[in-house]
Amino acid sequence: MATRRAFLAGLAATALPRMAWADVGNPAYIAAARLGDGTFALHALSADGDSLFALPLPARGHAAAAHPTRALAVAFARRPGTYALVLNAVTGQVAHRLTPPDNRHFNGHGAFSADGARLYTAEQRADDSAGIMGIWETDGFIRIGEVPTRGIGPHDLKRLPDGSLIVANGGIATDPADRTKLNLDTMRASIARLDTDGRLMSLSAMPVAYFPNSIRHLALIPGGAALALQWEGDPAEVVPLLALWRGDAITLCDAPVGEATRMQGYAGSVAATADRIAITSSHGGAVQIYGIDGTFARTYARTDASGVAAQGDGFLVTDGTGALTRLTDTGIAVVKTMPLAWDNHLVALDRRI
Amino acid sequence: MQKTLIALLIAATPAMADVQTAVTDHILPGYAAFSAATGALANMAAQTCDAAMLRPAWHAAADAWLGIAHIRLGPAEDDGRSLAIAFWPDPKGIGAKQQAAMIAGADPMGLDPLAFRDASVAVRGLTALERLLYPETPLAGEYPCRLLTTTAADLAQTARDVQAGWEGEFANAVLTAGAEGNMRFLSGIEARQALFTQLVTGIEFVKDARIGRPLGTFDAPRPERAEARASGRAGRNIVLSLTALRAYALALDPAAGRTADAFDLAIDTASAQPDPALAGITDPAVRLKLEILGQQVQAVHDTVLAEIGTSLNVGVGFNAADGD
Repeated sequence: MATRRAFLAGLAATALPRMAWADVGNPAYIAAARLGDGTFALHALSADGDSLFALPLPARGHAAAAHPTRALAVAFARRPGTYALVLNAVTGQVAHRLTPPDNRHFNGHGAFSADGARLYTAEQRADDSAGIMGIWETDGFIRIGEVPTRGIGPHDLKRLPDGSLIVANGGIATDPADRTKLNLDTMRASIARLDTDGRLMSLSAMPVAYFPNSIRHLALIPGGAALALQWEGDPAEVVPLLALWRGDAITLCDAPVGEATRMQGYAGSVAATADRIAITSSHGGAVQIYGIDGTFARTYARTDASGVAAQGDGFLVTDGTGALTRLTDTGIAVVKTMPLAWDNHLVALDRRI
Repeated sequence: MQKTLIALLIAATPAMADVQTAVTDHILPGYAAFSAATGALANMAAQTCDAAMLRPAWHAAADAWLGIAHIRLGPAEDDGRSLAIAFWPDPKGIGAKQQAAMIAGADPMGLDPLAFRDASVAVRGLTALERLLYPETPLAGEYPCRLLTTTAADLAQTARDVQAGWEGEFANAVLTAGAEGNMRFLSGIEARQALFTQLVTGIEFVKDARIGRPLGTFDAPRPERAEARASGRAGRNIVLSLTALRAYALALDPAAGRTADAFDLAIDTASAQPDPALAGITDPAVRLKLEILGQQVQAVHDTVLAEIGTSLNVGVGFNAADGD
């Protein structure tokens, strides 16, 4: 049921000429942050990492998705999310406020279809954490359907080049009120590939030997995706935190023991260039670089490192201290520091203008 | 190198006094002592493989490590050095398996300290030496003796590497945090936070690993998961690590009275544990005493966060605390 405000906002959105990303300076990245005064915002960054503009958020954000052509960004609340905001990047106004149906939570991530006509949202049923992908049209951002993701506790969701979608079923059932993890003894993560209407194309499970490893975040690589993992087993065990999903199979990528432990069992974000993969660990204050085939390359120390996105042949990393750093094979350099705390993710705008 | 460092220390601003004290009074002397103790052990191991003669020197090196083991930054973290010094916990027994394989195959890597540096961290360091000095079954032949010599030499070299790395560039990086061109610490608060994190993580390690792993659950205590089981020094490790953490906490904040009190209570309890190897925790009375110690270490943790976290104006990172 649409409220009066949503109805009016919808009218306004359709009445205005549709602005493209070029009209707002062609941002290359978007990232949520907590500002120095304690309020929250979604920043749009240029390819060089300059903040082009910031849109206010009512509470702490998590990740965001950018419309492929229109200057619209969807900001997702952190889990368990009760709202997602469609922000007009030209005016900074909230164009639509998305609310999941009863007994559904947003899980922090979503993606647009290639033509921008649909928005897909990662959700879970509040009472049993069963994975749901919500489907919304993008004229008035009305929910038009939902499908199961064939797993528990989905988190990240990405669109593959062919338009199909992959969902990271983290495997962890959580208490709807406070994120308490309920099923660590039996959890099993998987990648579900769904077609544009949500029909299951394939389901790839985490190999048995790595059961208490949750798949949290995704980055596209040629022929598949890189998966950032979070270990829920014995913290003393040294386990891979990067996996590759290719040909519907999941393979784990080992790092040397002395390097692997620096991540403290936690990979927060993942990104890929043409020939490198990066995973971040805010817990370990570290960023690890791998080859595109999953071969370990090196570890960089960076305090509270969290968001990461490809920038040419290197990576941009955001962290909770407000620094934006550039990592390459040869070193780390500060691009900029700002008086804010960057939140979990740095999202590269994937658009065709 | 030493001169540059002293010049830097003098130049450090008053706001960095806490960091400076922690580096000069705690971290650098800690690494120097560890380096000396492992050097002595290596010298002795070059001359004899008599376990009875080597054990006291090994214990002295282990004691020295516990004085500084909580600092896992920079040179102590690079190349997995902290793990190459002490590889525990090792729930899957990787170290024992790999070492047994080296011995069984008389792996030439174990005869050459230079080559041994490339061996897995699981077969190096104090933990590996403990297995050779307190073997479950007697070690036969010449190879284990030469492996012992190599392992001790490698440990001493690792200790020197960490010490040199800290005395050179890394102390400099910590003390010039926020200065132009300092890529490691972009601000003073970042350096303070990194040092504070070492304190908090060190306390958590005592509680979760040294105490928590053998404690298991009431229905399933796990004495076999105690640290340094072969040498029976699990209890001693708890006392020494709490003592070192207390000294480090007070170097960071000399006025932290509640923290000192909380540590004193826990150290007293740890010193009075009836079973130094923690092997007897299947006995409910023994177990209860270790449980109480665990609660007291948790109280140390909470006090440190509240008292020193506030005085240093640092906490857990924005994203590290969120964890999603």
